[in-house]
Amino acid sequence: MSNIKEKISAMYDGELKSSEIDELIEILNKNKDMQKQLSLYSLINVAANHHSNELSPIANIKKFSKEIFSNIWFSNGLTAAATLLITLTFINNSDLSRLNENIDSTNQISDAINSKEAQLIAQRSEEYITDHVMKVLNDPSYMNTSNRIDLRNVGFNVNSKDGYSYIKGKEKFQLRIENKNFGLKNIRYWKHGNKMIYLVPLDNGKVVTLYGNISISSAREIAKSLNK
Amino acid sequence: MKKNSHDIDSELIKKAKQGNHGAFNILMSKYYPRVYATIFSFIKSKEDSEDLSQQTFIKVWQQLDSFRGDSAFFTWVYRIAINLAKNFVTSSGFKKQKINTSIEDTEIDISSFNDIESAVIHNESLEEINGYIDTLPESLKTAFVLREVEGKSYEDIAKITQTPIGTVRSRIFRARESIVEFIKKEIITNE
Repeated sequence: MSNIKEKISAMYDGELKSSEIDELIEILNKNKDMQKQLSLYSLINVAANHHSNELSPIANIKKFSKEIFSNIWFSNGLTAAATLLITLTFINNSDLSRLNENIDSTNQISDAINSKEAQLIAQRSEEYITDHVMKVLNDPSYMNTSNRIDLRNVGFNVNSKDGYSYIKGKEKFQLRIENKNFGLKNIRYWKHGNKMIYLVPLDNGKVVTLYGNISISSAREIAKSLNK
Repeated sequence: MKKNSHDIDSELIKKAKQGNHGAFNILMSKYYPRVYATIFSFIKSKEDSEDLSQQTFIKVWQQLDSFRGDSAFFTWVYRIAINLAKNFVTSSGFKKQKINTSIEDTEIDISSFNDIESAVIHNESLEEINGYIDTLPESLKTAFVLREVEGKSYEDIAKITQTPIGTVRSRIFRARESIVEFIKKEIITNE
């Protein structure tokens, strides 16, 4: 029984061997307790990603990420979420030139996007990003976190009216920090109505979400400031 | 050869499209808690979240033939769930709409899901589970967090932890089993 449960665990992770899958489907078909087991694993995933920044970080992730992602270039183009986020307007890759990101060549991007490794990583990461962006858009309390960062060096002050947003002139946004990087290497961003959502990966392996009326240049300034 | 999650889902979807209810039940077992949690995070009502989760999977079942596989299965399911949740919030006609589609018509078994999810998915329990995860033995916790929180593959985790893939698979399983036991003992029985 334990062996079957281990296979269910591996199946949940998409790590089952081809030779094992049909047999397991048969077992799951016939055994409701085993289906429940699969459901419990899914439930655990929900729990583990609930305020996931409360779980202790893994120390050597950053070093490893550098190695594994060294040949993969992530961009707004690498996105299956385009099919999901129908209310969002995706900004073309060409806009990334404004980010001064390290773009070697169109071919490199194309190769990276089409590589099997990139696609696998993207599939794994997309669900997390989808979850996250949908919560940003739909759950008003999601961005009201206790994360407070001093951004006065880039001209933003905490809005005294609400105590959680940041303002500078006409720019106003909310900020949230995740203790995971969603597989992101570069800034990824979406336009939603008149607001922007930026996912900004930091050097320490975390990701900052910025949501509101904020320009891309300001988002970059904030990212630079947080990386210092 | 190994199959990734997308391949396994595709295989289950193919079987479900051919009328295999068991394959669909497996997909539902895999994704129901996440759908429920997503809806609950917006609606904040156990009863309505249960109703909407059921509606989501009834719609998924009914519209399965239209799923072309352009996006990941969960992305598609998620979109249906979000649309239903938004309709619920904005439309007072939702309650009437519910009556039009009954679970019995679908020949899929949703009834067994709600008890656990509604017991577990609220902030207090989720935080208790998170607290328990932090107490797992370091080797289990590392493998588990790398997989569940960081989304790493077994191969990547094996490289990071410098252990064989079989050990990674076993550690993740043991971590999950330990958490399942905790949920059964400390959370479900206390409800």
